[in-house]
Amino acid sequence: MFCYNCGCHLSEHDFCTACGADVSLYKKILSVSNLYYNEGLEKANVRDLTGAVTSLRQSLKFNKNNIEARNLLGLVYFEMGEVVAALSEWVISKNLRPEKNIADDYIDRLQSNSTRLDSINQTIKKYNQALAYCMQDSKDLAVIQLKKVLSLNPRFIRAHQLLALLYMDSEEWERAERELHKCMDIDRNNTQTLRYLKEVEAMLVPDENVRQPAKRKKEEAVRYQSDNEIIIQPFNVKEPKRGGASTLVNIGIGLVIGLAVTYFLLVPAAESNAKNEAQAAVTEISNELNAKTARIQELEAQVEHSGQEIESLNQELEDIVGADGTLHTIDGLLTAAASYLETQDLEATAASLETIAQSVDLNETSEGFQSLYHMLLASIGPDLSKSYYDQGYEAYRTGDYGTAIDLLSKAVNYDETNADALLQLGQAYDKNGNAAEAAATYDKVIGLFPDTPNARRAQSLKNALAGQ
Amino acid sequence: MINFEEELKKFHPSLEVEDAEDAIYNQDLTDMADLLVKMIKESEEKPNDNEVS
Repeated sequence: MFCYNCGCHLSEHDFCTACGADVSLYKKILSVSNLYYNEGLEKANVRDLTGAVTSLRQSLKFNKNNIEARNLLGLVYFEMGEVVAALSEWVISKNLRPEKNIADDYIDRLQSNSTRLDSINQTIKKYNQALAYCMQDSKDLAVIQLKKVLSLNPRFIRAHQLLALLYMDSEEWERAERELHKCMDIDRNNTQTLRYLKEVEAMLVPDENVRQPAKRKKEEAVRYQSDNEIIIQPFNVKEPKRGGASTLVNIGIGLVIGLAVTYFLLVPAAESNAKNEAQAAVTEISNELNAKTARIQELEAQVEHSGQEIESLNQELEDIVGADGTLHTIDGLLTAAASYLETQDLEATAASLETIAQSVDLNETSEGFQSLYHMLLASIGPDLSKSYYDQGYEAYRTGDYGTAIDLLSKAVNYDETNADALLQLGQAYDKNGNAAEAAATYDKVIGLFPDTPNARRAQSLKNALAGQ
Repeated sequence: MINFEEELKKFHPSLEVEDAEDAIYNQDLTDMADLLVKMIKESEEKPNDNEVS
């Protein structure tokens, strides 16, 4: 404690030992300030923040330099969500005592976290906006805005109070009560909160007569909170009893309506569904039937074709194989060989060989078959050729050149070395008027039998033919 | 019975951080000690005036 006149430290005396000024009244004023500070501190300790604010303000009214009181006031403001007011007190405190001041630490903590400061400022702006909404009678918007404010700064008492007031205005008493209890948790002796709470409690429990049923109702229900909603779930809820006749009538009406709905709505729908399903099934079966019919026709055609093939093959087999299963051609060849060995009948053997040659392709027959055929042909060939030559020459001589050509051709076929037959064939062609065949035949004679009388004769005949 | 409109009038916009400086400068810091000192000084000056006159 210092003298207001000279600034010296005061003693226990009522005057300044340095300048002699009377400081008795000054000392009393400072004592009152301290008294209020102590009172404010006690109230703050028991969370009577409103009372603490009042006492600390009184303390500062007596002594503005009571730094402890000012710092504590800032702290109480901060606890109530009034950040700007708290900041103001701490700044003043710091100005009054620049050093060794806890306010300096408070300010630093607040200013070092810019996000926190931004959030606080946003909170204040939203609160002011909510208040503006209230003034414009946009209470729903105000409620939304205040909920946002309280989510950012849950200790903002004024926001809680305003939200409670809005709930009270919309007669949501339980919500209002909840908000006011939150206020009470922060500041236990706020007059405004207490006044609102009294009103809310009065509305929740209007009088003694209503209290009892309300209590009983509470007991019969389960209450639990989900977020911000209180859900009341009754244990046993029974419909009030009604007269038996009316119940029966209602049941009857219900049945009639049910039947009507079934008849007019459900039955046609079910019928339609059944028809559609049946139609779909018929279509599917029809498609399957068509596919199967086409398949049957295809198979029938294949069967018919196969039958024809079998018949054709059987015919071929019959032609090739005899009644006893032996091949005709082999049989014919063996018969011809046997006949030749027994009778030496050249013409019959030649006829058999010609028949065999016409009925079968010799190149496709077995090696043994071909060997026997050619051996037989070699055995009878020269004799047969001579026989055909004699007959052909006789026909040539009588002027039957056509028959002569056939017979002489056979003679050449059975014996290619029969030069007389070949030369005579050329002459038969010549006489028969076929000069080209005659010249070709003469050439064969000249080529196959050179330097022979037949060759020279053929050359002269060819020359004579060329000279005609 | 609480009147909403009347109660609403008791709520005032909160000071924003930007306005804190003005609020600090405009705050009246005069206390009882200042008044006492002023009164003592005035009372000391008055007898002197009387003596002069």
